[in-house]
This record gives sequence, structure tokens and C-alpha cells, in this order.
Amino acid sequence: MRFATLMKHPADWMASGDSETSVVLTSRVRLARNLAGASYPGWARKNERKEVLSKVQAVVRGLPGMQNGFLCELSDLESLQKQVLVERHLISREQAARNEGSAAVINRKQSLSLMVNEEDHLRIQAIQPSLNLEKAYRLAHQVDQELEQKLCFAFDAKWGYLTACPTNLGTGMRASAMLHLPGLVLNEQIGQVLKGVGKLGLAVRGLYGEGTESLGNLYQISNQSTLGESEQDILRHLTKVIGDISRYEQQARQRLLKNESVMLKDRVGRAAGILTHAQIISSKEALNHLSMLRLGADLELYSTSLQEVCDRLFMGTQPAHLQWAAEKKLEPEARDILRAQMIRDQLHSILPPAIDISE
Amino acid sequence: MKCDSCDNKATVFYTQVTEGKLKKFTLCESCAHQKGITDPNSLLMAGEAFKPSSGSGESSGFVSSDRSNSGYCDTCGFTLGDLQKVGRLGCPDCYGAFAPEIGRRLSSMHKGESHVGYVPSGLVHQIELDESFKKKELELEKAIFDERYEEAAQLRDELERLKAEREVGK
Repeated sequence: MRFATLMKHPADWMASGDSETSVVLTSRVRLARNLAGASYPGWARKNERKEVLSKVQAVVRGLPGMQNGFLCELSDLESLQKQVLVERHLISREQAARNEGSAAVINRKQSLSLMVNEEDHLRIQAIQPSLNLEKAYRLAHQVDQELEQKLCFAFDAKWGYLTACPTNLGTGMRASAMLHLPGLVLNEQIGQVLKGVGKLGLAVRGLYGEGTESLGNLYQISNQSTLGESEQDILRHLTKVIGDISRYEQQARQRLLKNESVMLKDRVGRAAGILTHAQIISSKEALNHLSMLRLGADLELYSTSLQEVCDRLFMGTQPAHLQWAAEKKLEPEARDILRAQMIRDQLHSILPPAIDISE
Repeated sequence: MKCDSCDNKATVFYTQVTEGKLKKFTLCESCAHQKGITDPNSLLMAGEAFKPSSGSGESSGFVSSDRSNSGYCDTCGFTLGDLQKVGRLGCPDCYGAFAPEIGRRLSSMHKGESHVGYVPSGLVHQIELDESFKKKELELEKAIFDERYEEAAQLRDELERLKAEREVGK
């Protein structure tokens, strides 16, 4: 499949637009695997990396779940294309920085992706909408089981899967969910909740993983420990904590609606006003207003169909997606103008502008 | 790991950065000596970019992996110093080479110190064999110590059988 074909369709897990995804947008599980006897990508020479790649590629081509998928070496992708894949969470930022000997394999629905020669030889990732870590794990695990029939993974009876970084040792599994928490942010309870999450041995990150800031009230919560607990225990614990946070968020929203209705409606209304009228908007500003608008839709202050539009715009207004849609590289100023236009266009049918100044 | 120049076992590992490009050399003792690598005064191989690592601290593009006082991995040449620097390992066999150092770090990263969870289906049997082999070995030692020779002979036969079965699995 060509890159353009892959991008033509939204991912299966994007924009489902139901109440299930009102707090937890997506669930993601990735498994780190390495070939026994081969140097890890960060230490291997170029020819060793290529050897691993050709071994893995030959097996991956035969996977039933990857038929008609997208398979590409990172060196054959333009930097904009790599960035689009990062924004879609189909490859990591770390992999985008790699070139020869590194490859991405993505299925048609974009629910499964394999990263070859990222930090580890192989990372199997599955993404599902809403809170469904179990299903994401099942999908990744199935691919893992198919691959282990043909590839010999580095595994030790005491330490489990031997990964490039000891922080992934054991199960090699990182499970995470993307949460939209505007209620807890407006209620100023977010700090307390995140501190609690940290105390439970879980990690909180921003939109694009490690070291990124939280934008649009979006937070990623994942397990930190991978050794000494089974996959099922990790998933169960994470699902419980995320379920709890999800409930706190819903309660916070209801409290805001009841006790601070005017403030809440003001925030949502201002966001709607800016998004439907702005002519220049940065990606950060857009994310933050879209977050408020999405909250308004979830609370039925606006049509609930807005949630799906907001989710689509969360992704579509990211810098690389925007440039991909425009079919050209754009300077930040030009991007901000195009972003504002895209948002106005998409919101037009649901929230027609009070004053139309676009002509 | 073999020497880049001949078929001997490599014992000298160099990482050299020239004009921002990373180059790795893996050599045996004698090839390294021939190329002047082991002599810090020789500039034969590395040319201008080569500066002894014990130099005055000016911007040297050369990173030496000192093996004289730290362990290293036989398979890939990664050193303990490398691990301390980057926090990641060179290859799966590094876990064996640096087991005590890694073991010490694990408690601060993880909830436990040994794997509980999925085991690749092809390895389940192999791991069971390994475990019963180790157990029988201990039993044999004890039987010999206690002078229970008949039992020891039986255990020795069982160990032979397990060993053969293990080899087939590999």
C-alpha cells in the first residue's frame, strides 16, 4: 500500500464519536522484542541492522493481519511523512529520527503497527478506541505469537524478554491510554490526581510521550514496571486506575455544570467563538480550544456530533497533517492561517459563525 | 565476534567519530597491533581524528572503550562503561555479561526482580528442562557427598538424558 492510500482513511480507532470515548480516547499496547544473538539497533552496525530488518521483513510479509498493509523503510520516507506517522502515533519520535535499516509496517486499519529497529529490533503496537487495553493486548499478543514461530526472540527464564533498555525488561510491555481531562483541569484537581497516579507506580506523559507537555488537556497514562508482574496483572491494574480517573473526570464535569455553570459555559462559548471566527491559530491554541469545545459537546451544550469533529481536528490540525493535506511544506505562519480555515470549514455546518468574515 | 581483518576472535573494539560519522572497528589483538590501534601514539588508522583518550580534554572525536578495568560483552564488545553512559545495552548477551550490575539497578525500575508473565511457546519446554537439569545436578552433588553411589549413578544417567534432550531443543 502506498503512503497516500494509507493516509486517505482515518485510523480505525480515530473519531468513533460515542460516549465511550468521552474521557478515554484510545488504548495502546506495545511489546518490545529482540532477536537472540544480534546487537540492539543502537549499538549494531548498519549492515547488522539491515540483516535484522531483512529477517524480520520476510516474516512480517507473511503475517495474516498485515496483508495489504503499508511497509516502508524509514529512509524512503520524507521527513513530513515521518512526522505524519508520529502525529498518528503509528511510529515513535525516536524511530522518526532513524533512517537506513529501520522500517515501519502498518496494517490497513492502522490498528496494528510494527516498528523494526527502533530502540529494540521489533516493537509490536496495537491501538484501540476507548478504554480497552485487553483487546489491544490481545491483538499485539497474537502478532507476537505468530512471529515467534519463525523468529527466535531473546528471552531469559529469570529476566523475561531481554530488551535494549533494562526499563522494558520482563514482559517488554508498555500499555497506555490517552485521556481527555478538562474537568479535572478546570476544577484544579488534576495535580492531585496525577500525583496519585505517580504514587501507584504509573507514568503520566503529555500528548506525544516522554518529555512532551500536556496540550489540549490530553494525558497519557502507562505502566512503568515491566518486570515482576504478569501482562494480565499490569493490564488489570492500569484498567482499574484509568477507570477510576475516568469516573473522577465525569464527576468533576457534573460538578462544574451544577456549581459553576456560567464559568463552564463561558469557557466553552469562548472556545467556540474563537474557533469559528479565528483567521490565524497556532496548533497549541487550537488544541486547547478544541478541548473546551469537545467538553461542551460531551456535556451536550452543543450537538454531540461535535465530539467526532473535534477528534478529527485534534489530529488534522497537527503541523504535519496540515501540510500533508495542503500537499506542500508550509512555514508556521502559513500553517496557522490554513489551520484556522480548516477548523472554520469543519465546524461550519454544526456551529455556523455569527459573523462571516471569511470572504 | 570475529575480527574485521581475519578470522580470529575480536578483543579490541573501537568507536571513532570522524566529521560527525560513527565508525566501529572490531579487531583481534594482533591485527589491532599491526594497525597501530593499541599504540596511542600511532595515527596510522584513525588519521587526524584520532586523539588519545587520556589527552588534554580538548574536543577529541575519539571514544575509547577501556577494557583494562571493566568487564565487556564477548558477543558484541559493549562495555560496562558504555552501559553507564547510555543506560542501554549492546545485545541480549550483555545481560549475562553485566548480570550483577544490571541486577542491582532493577529494584529501582521494576516491581519485581524476576519475570512473571508470558513465555514464548517454543521456550516453555526448554526452560522446564533447564530447571530440572539444575535441580538434578544439585541432587547428584548431594548424593555423592552422602556416598549414595547407586542413586548418584541413576542421577548421572538422567542428567545425560536431559542434556541430550536440551541439545535437541536448541
